[in-house]
Amino acid sequence: MRRRPRDSILLYAAVIATCAILVFPIYWLVVTALSEPDQLRQLPPKFWPDQPRWHVFGEIMAERPILLWLGNSALAAIGAVTLSMTVSVLAGYSLSRFRVRGGPSLGLFILTAKMLPATLLVIPLFGIFRQLELIGSLWSIILAHATLIIPFTTWMLKGYFDTIPRELEQAAMIDGCSPLGAMVRVILPVSAPGLAATALYGFVLSWSDYAYARTFLTNAQSNWTANLGITTMKGEYVSNWSDISAASILVALPILLIYLFLERYLVGGLTAGAEK
Amino acid sequence: MAGIRIEHVTKSYGGLSVLKDFSLDIADGEFVVLVGPSGCGKSTMLKILAGLEEASSGKVTIGERDVTDLSPGDRDIAMVFQNYALYPHLTVRKNMGFGLKMRGTEAAEIERRVTEAARILAIDHLLDRRPRALSGGQRQRVALGRAIVREPLAFLMDEPLSNLDAKLRVHTRAEISALHKRLGVTTIYVTHDQTEAMTMADRIVIMKDGEIQQIAHPDLMFREPANLFVAGFIGSPGMNFLQSPVADTGGRAQVRLFGQDVTLPVPLAALPGKDVIVGLRPEHIMAGPGAVSFEVQPRLVESLGSEQYVYVDLPPENRVGQARNGASDEDGRGNSLIARLISPDGRAFGERLTLSFDPARLHVFDAVTQEAIR
Repeated sequence: MRRRPRDSILLYAAVIATCAILVFPIYWLVVTALSEPDQLRQLPPKFWPDQPRWHVFGEIMAERPILLWLGNSALAAIGAVTLSMTVSVLAGYSLSRFRVRGGPSLGLFILTAKMLPATLLVIPLFGIFRQLELIGSLWSIILAHATLIIPFTTWMLKGYFDTIPRELEQAAMIDGCSPLGAMVRVILPVSAPGLAATALYGFVLSWSDYAYARTFLTNAQSNWTANLGITTMKGEYVSNWSDISAASILVALPILLIYLFLERYLVGGLTAGAEK
Repeated sequence: MAGIRIEHVTKSYGGLSVLKDFSLDIADGEFVVLVGPSGCGKSTMLKILAGLEEASSGKVTIGERDVTDLSPGDRDIAMVFQNYALYPHLTVRKNMGFGLKMRGTEAAEIERRVTEAARILAIDHLLDRRPRALSGGQRQRVALGRAIVREPLAFLMDEPLSNLDAKLRVHTRAEISALHKRLGVTTIYVTHDQTEAMTMADRIVIMKDGEIQQIAHPDLMFREPANLFVAGFIGSPGMNFLQSPVADTGGRAQVRLFGQDVTLPVPLAALPGKDVIVGLRPEHIMAGPGAVSFEVQPRLVESLGSEQYVYVDLPPENRVGQARNGASDEDGRGNSLIARLISPDGRAFGERLTLSFDPARLHVFDAVTQEAIR
C-alpha cells in the first residue's frame, strides 16, 4: 500500500525530531569540548565555535591519565562480562532446557534481582568486599558489575536458547556428545549472535557504571575507571567544562563505535533471542 | 545391524500415562512403522528407544545388549528428525561426519564414508554448503546421510517426510524404502500418515492412547483389522461403519442395511444377541447392481479424475457415532457412507445412483467392545 504524501511528511518529521532530541546532547558535548571556556557562557549561545580547540584532546591526555582510566574501565568490563557470561550461559541454558522442581521459581527470583536498583546493593556489597579486602581493587567492581549483569544476561540468553530447537542437541547426543558436549559443540556456536549481543550489552552496562566505582575505588587512584576519573576533573569552585566534555567524548567513543559498527548485528541478536 | 526387543515399557508424566505396557520384538533388518494419531505415544516410544527419554519401567535391548540405562551416544543408533536437526554452523560434509568424529574415527575414514554416503544419496555436489543453502528435500537427504555414514545398528526415523511437499514426499518415501532394501538396517519409523505406513512397512504397529492396537503386515492389517479403531485408521478414505442389531434367520446372522436384510460373513454363534457395527471399505462398493444393491441420492461427489468419492447419507437406523480415521465425529462423517468408484463414467452430481456390495466383504465389530468378530 502506498503511503499518502502528507503521512510521509509527518512520519519523516517525527523521525527527524526524535533523532534531533537523541543526537543533540552528543552534538552539544562536542561543541562544549571545542569551545573556549568563556564562550560557553555567552548568550545567545554559539552553535559552533569560531576557532575549534582540536588540541584539547591532546592536552587533557597529557594532563590526566585518561588512557589508564580507559584501560581500567576496559579491564573491569571485560572481567565482569567474562564472569557474567560464564555463569549466565549455563544458567540460561538450564532454565531453557531442564524441567526441575522449583526451576520456574528460581527463574522468577533471578528476574526479581534484575528489578533491584543498583544503588540498593552498594552498602551490602561494600560490607562484603571490605571483609574480603577487595575495596580499592578492580576485582570489587568486576564482582559488583557481575551482580548487575548476570540477571539481565541470564534472561536474555534463556530467551535465545528457547528459540533453538531441542532436536539439535538431541541429534548431537545421538552422535555421541554428552549433554554438556552438545551444548558446547552445537548450541553455543549456533547461539553466537545472541551471545555476542548479550556480551556487548553487559559490556556497556559495566562501562557506564559510576556508583560502584565511586564507592569501591575512590581511595585507589591507580584503579580509577574512566567515569570516576572524569568526575575528579570537576573543581569545587571552578570547573573547566570544555576539558570535562573532551574527556567525556574520549570515554564515550569506544561505546559509540561499538554501537555504530555493530548496531544491525546487535539488534538482530536481541530480537532473535526475544521471539519465541 | 541388530534386532530390537522392547519389553513392557511404560512412560508416565506425573499422573498422565502416555505409554502403557509397550512390548515389541523387531527382527534384524526389519522395517517397522509406528503409526497413530497425535498424542498416541509413538514419538515417545521412539525417544525412549533413542535414549532421549527415560522409560518409567520396562527394558530395551538392541542386539544382545540391554541399553535401557545407556546414554543415546552409547546405543549405536542413528536418528532422523522431523525438522532434520542439521547443525546450521557446519557444512554438509561436517554434519555428516560429526558422529564419526565424536567416536574418534580417523579423518581419512570419515572422508571415505561421507563421500560414499553422499554418492548413494546423490548429494556429493552439496558437501561444502551450509544447511541454510539447501532446499527442504536436500536437507532431508543430508539428514539421511548423517544417519547412514555412522553404519549404526538401527535407524530411528521420526516423521522424516512431514516437512516435504506432497510430490517430494512420495518420491522420498520410495527412496527411503529403496535405501532400506539396499542397506538392510533395522528401521523404526514413526508417522501419523497411514499411507506411509502401508507403503513402507514390513510390519505396522498401530497405537492409540499409549496402547498398541494391532501389530501386523500392512496387507493383513488392511484385510483383518483387529478393532474398529484400526479399521477406521488404515485405508484412505477410511472404512464406512453402519450399525444394526443382529437377527437370527434360519441359523444365519442377518443385519438390516439400507432397508435390506444382509447375511453376515460370520457364524451366528459368534454374535449371541449383540448389536454389531458393520464395516465396509469405500473401494468395496461398486456402481450398478450386485449381490446387495441399493439406490441412493449422493450428497456430494468428489472427482479425482481416475476415481470418484461419492458421499451418501446413511439411513438413521444404520448411523453410528464412530467416525473414520478414529477422529471425532464433529464433521458428521459417522452419518455418511463414502463409495470409492474407479473409472467413473461421467455420472453427474444430483442424479440418483444404484450402488452395490458383496456381503462377503463386510467386517463385523462388537458395538460395545469395538473388537473385530470373525
